[in-house]
Amino acid sequence: MEADGTGRASGPSGSILRAEGISKRFGGVVALDDVTFDIRPGEVHTLAGENGSGKSTLIKIIAGVETPDAGTISVGDDAYARLTPRQAIALGIEVIFQDFSLFPNLSVAENIAVSTYIGDRRRTVRPSALRRIAADVVSRIGVRLDLDAPVEELSVADRQLTAICRALAQEARSIFMDEPTTALTRREVQALFRVVEQLKQRGVALVFVSHKLEEVLQISERITVLRNGRVVVSGDVAEFDRSALTVAMTGHAVTDTPPPDSLRKDARPLLEVQGLTSEGRFHDVTFSVRPGEILGVTGLLGSGRTEIAESLFGVVPADAGTIMVEGRPVRIRSVHDAIAAGIGYVPGDRLTQGVFIDQPIARNILAGSLDRVTGPADLVRPAAADQLVQRAAGDIRIKMSSSQAPVRTLSGGNQQRVVLAKWLVRGPHVLILNSPTVGVDVGSKHEILDLLRAKAHDGMGIIVISDDVPELVAVCHRVLVVRGGRIAGELSGERLTEDEIVKELA
Amino acid sequence: MSAAAAEPRREDPTARLVRRLVPDASVVRLFVLAVLVLIVFSVASPDFLTLINFQSMGLQVTEVGLLSLAIMVSMLTGGIDLSIISIANVAALVTAQLFAHHGGADAGSQQMGLYVVVGIAAGTACGLLNGVLIAKLRITPILATLGTMQLFNGLAIAWTGGKAIYGMPDSFLNIGNGYVGDVPIPVLILLGGAVLTAIFINRTGRGLRIQLLGANEVAAKYSGLRNERVLFVTYLASAFLASLAGIVIAARSASASADYGASYLLLAIVIVVLGGVNPLGGFGTVTGVVLAAFTLQMVNTGFNQVGFNAFLYQVAQGVILIGALGLSQLSERYGWASRLARAMPWRARGEPGVPEPPGALGPQLRTPGESHREEDVRGRPV
Amino acid sequence: MSAAASTLRAIPLGRLRGQNNEGILALTIIVLAIVVGIADSSFWRLSTLLNIATSTLDNIVFAMGVLIVIISGGIDVSFMAIGIFAGYAVIVVTNNTGFGADIALVGFALAATIGLGLGMLNALAIAGLRLPTLIATLGTQGIIRGVLLAYVGSKVIPNYPPGLNDLSTSYLLTAHAPSGDTRLSVLILPAIVICVLISLMLRYTMVGRGIFAIGGDAESARRAGFPVVRIQVFIYGLVGVLAGIAGMMHVTQVRLANPYELVGGELDVIAAVVLGGASIFGGKGSVIGTVLGVVLISLIRNSLILLGVPGTWQRAAVGAMLIIGVTAQALGSSARRRPTGGVAMEATT
Repeated sequence: MEADGTGRASGPSGSILRAEGISKRFGGVVALDDVTFDIRPGEVHTLAGENGSGKSTLIKIIAGVETPDAGTISVGDDAYARLTPRQAIALGIEVIFQDFSLFPNLSVAENIAVSTYIGDRRRTVRPSALRRIAADVVSRIGVRLDLDAPVEELSVADRQLTAICRALAQEARSIFMDEPTTALTRREVQALFRVVEQLKQRGVALVFVSHKLEEVLQISERITVLRNGRVVVSGDVAEFDRSALTVAMTGHAVTDTPPPDSLRKDARPLLEVQGLTSEGRFHDVTFSVRPGEILGVTGLLGSGRTEIAESLFGVVPADAGTIMVEGRPVRIRSVHDAIAAGIGYVPGDRLTQGVFIDQPIARNILAGSLDRVTGPADLVRPAAADQLVQRAAGDIRIKMSSSQAPVRTLSGGNQQRVVLAKWLVRGPHVLILNSPTVGVDVGSKHEILDLLRAKAHDGMGIIVISDDVPELVAVCHRVLVVRGGRIAGELSGERLTEDEIVKELA
Repeated sequence: MSAAAAEPRREDPTARLVRRLVPDASVVRLFVLAVLVLIVFSVASPDFLTLINFQSMGLQVTEVGLLSLAIMVSMLTGGIDLSIISIANVAALVTAQLFAHHGGADAGSQQMGLYVVVGIAAGTACGLLNGVLIAKLRITPILATLGTMQLFNGLAIAWTGGKAIYGMPDSFLNIGNGYVGDVPIPVLILLGGAVLTAIFINRTGRGLRIQLLGANEVAAKYSGLRNERVLFVTYLASAFLASLAGIVIAARSASASADYGASYLLLAIVIVVLGGVNPLGGFGTVTGVVLAAFTLQMVNTGFNQVGFNAFLYQVAQGVILIGALGLSQLSERYGWASRLARAMPWRARGEPGVPEPPGALGPQLRTPGESHREEDVRGRPV
Repeated sequence: MSAAASTLRAIPLGRLRGQNNEGILALTIIVLAIVVGIADSSFWRLSTLLNIATSTLDNIVFAMGVLIVIISGGIDVSFMAIGIFAGYAVIVVTNNTGFGADIALVGFALAATIGLGLGMLNALAIAGLRLPTLIATLGTQGIIRGVLLAYVGSKVIPNYPPGLNDLSTSYLLTAHAPSGDTRLSVLILPAIVICVLISLMLRYTMVGRGIFAIGGDAESARRAGFPVVRIQVFIYGLVGVLAGIAGMMHVTQVRLANPYELVGGELDVIAAVVLGGASIFGGKGSVIGTVLGVVLISLIRNSLILLGVPGTWQRAAVGAMLIIGVTAQALGSSARRRPTGGVAMEATT
């Protein structure tokens, strides 16, 4: 065992932290199975995997938020069967979850510094002392933050910086970051990577949890891939390329998908958007969608791509601009208006926005069509309701044994199908989907894409918002790139390749 | 490439019938509890298992039963209507004042019908204010109804000078004290109200929207459910049921006052929680609430007959509330409920081959200090 | 945007507004006082001030407890029941056993202890069983009240032990007026001390910051290592102690132990705390704001009397005030809660 120069002994092969044989079950579901994972000072080690692979559970266990059923966590000479959050922090482990776990009502300075007091088991607090600690940390990594601002007023990037500063204030030896770049603009991502460099130079070990292949390959020294709770492969970044990573993460070889159908040139557009503007969200957006066309929309999160969809669907009505469906101008001031105009929307956040997780599948499907199954006195017509549900579920082939089962009992792919069914059964003119295949197993992914192709073939207009570049190339006729709230570019035909999209996004 | 998708099988008709009648494991539990209470008090007091006693209980249970239904409706949306007692009193007072100033004890039955309708309308109109505050101004229901409770109560006090109003015709008093055969009229009113509420909640578009809104407000918005309208309807419905309760109170006690029924609020919430309505919204069964109301009435009468101190009923309410909720929480955390319900054969099963996730039988209750974070599609804590 | 906000914060005027609009509240009180004073000049007397101070004493102490619970993201409706239980029980015990008959302080200590014990019921239900706070405290309220009336006593007690009797007639100040004298009870001192202590606790101790943290985001508090369960036990225990003391104050001032009192007045105190700037969702609130809130409600009641509004209209007026105040709060905070840090709009090149 050698010391790594920081005064703390490190384990074999210079690792700061080592998780061995970690297993965890939730009820009947295996989340982690005999996972071994270690990190070294000054490196970025990425935990890659699809949703459901167990990566979130693993870092929760290391953070002390969950306890493992088996396995040990070793830091230096000491091995632990389980950790509490306080112990983890005392061991120099800091985890920054995707929501940053900050206190929105407290100031930046307090958020940064207060946990140091917990570790020291102090009883009293002096606000000025907290502020000094925070100012010290902030200047150490050379970022600018308004220390007195309540965190709830901060932008996402600033919140992330606050969380990083908090980790540093604790003198973390290892910092885990869960999907750190999903909410950052390109510039902010670069700023983040600069901070990461600084941390590396101080000998801090960093663990990124991510499913974004390009970034993973760019920033990591080592990569460990989890799938279905097991370690599939682990090694230096030089041993991986994109397809190797995809194969490891999904378990399937990358398959070739057929190109999209060609479109009729003369058809009148199903959807025409002109000069659509929403204060502070997007500006002067103009595009159209023709019958049978699958239009892709991409951009970094925060670029406005989701906001455009939400305005089209009436969630946050636009301030200016015109929308025309089938040549007729429509006013979309509410979701109800959008549905009446023939627009459907499969939201990006399935659990919060898409499904009623504990309600029966049938009711989830009916939720979008209650007006069609109610008769006089607003009474539901059971026959009509049953028919509608059977039609919807059969059309999209939802795998379920009873339509009364709660949606919770379905897999991610089937849950997504329920949301799709809800809108498809209405026969919308235009269907907008936001990140439709995230958290969906590979088999369902292909089926959903095939389904979209089929619907387009039947004449529906489809908009797919996604940051899954291969998916966009495989299924879309055209792709719009959104940046800073504006349409920054359009790719089609020969220019519609993965490299071109990545270039536009970079 | 994909496995042959199973055609969604039609449910076996017998299973379907059973599932309709016994919607929930919790209703079975309640029924068992009610029977137990019945047995215990029948043994403890010789007068308990008599027709007269049941009739007397029937006379008393309606008021709080209707109030419980009112609270149930607002709880289904994840809110709460604390103003129902005040609204009940408003309805009662309007009707009583109409009698007092126009007709009094000699009022004809047509007049009585009219006055009752006006009283109910007045109470329901109070629900409009709640609707505006909660649906339009987006004030949190606890605060909004706390305020309207004071306001309605205050207005009632100002109107009556704090005194009770008397002078109602027998035809009206009959509503609260009369019988149809051996069955007290109030019981019929309660059952009628319960059936109407059940149909409303489970079989109408508005009712389904209320349940969906309570289950997930964001998803309801993204499904085009017009949350504002749904909330409005919710608090109107709650006010309507409360007004019904007010009329029954006035009819039974032959008087109306601004301050009646203060102790009913805790009792109504106990009944609703016992009846299986999650204070966070989305689930509920009218059957459960009615069963719980009868159960608590039996406890009340039973205590009386056995000679317990009258105030012990309040203690019992608190104990039952904490006990019932606590048990449900503990069983949720330690998986007792899921094991019990797995034994029930008629419960709809999920996707074949996908193991039952933990906590599948009910949403978790949230308190400060514990928030159960789901992970969203991206593995992001929701 | 954050640059503008931070410059605003630098301006002392902005600081005067207070973190939770306490400044606006103070302004409202001043304006109201002026208005009433114009309508009835007898308002501007020391006696009015003493009146308000005396009548709000116990509510202020109750409100401190409610404030702490609300900051932590919960709500408590059992504190009045705890208060009257403690006050009444102490009178009963002292009368029957002579324990602490001569020294009022012993009575207060006893009340505080009883309050602590009852507060533990809440702690058990909320921290132990993880029940939602409104429902849990509704349940404990029923239990506490029921046990009081069933087992401790349901009759009004007019005889007081000598120690308390003396205390109830100890006055700090006396204001002479043609209509009669108004006196300020000496109990104002412990009330002030309590307020100061609570304020210090909330600001300068880890427990206090922990309470704010839990109110801000309970799960984050847990992940940051705050001992959440222990803090909650502390909260509800402390609320019990405060309620016990406040109940004792009330019973002392009224010179009558009536077990039916107090319960029903919870809403006034909760309204005062919310009007004082505490957010019902937790994470925000201040002692000063709460005191101002209690004063405001008392002022409204007083001014209604002076303005000749019949007593029967008081409750309606307070209800209307609450609705207006809450509406103003909701509208104000939703304006502030506009999506910040939204799309990073870049200029087109």
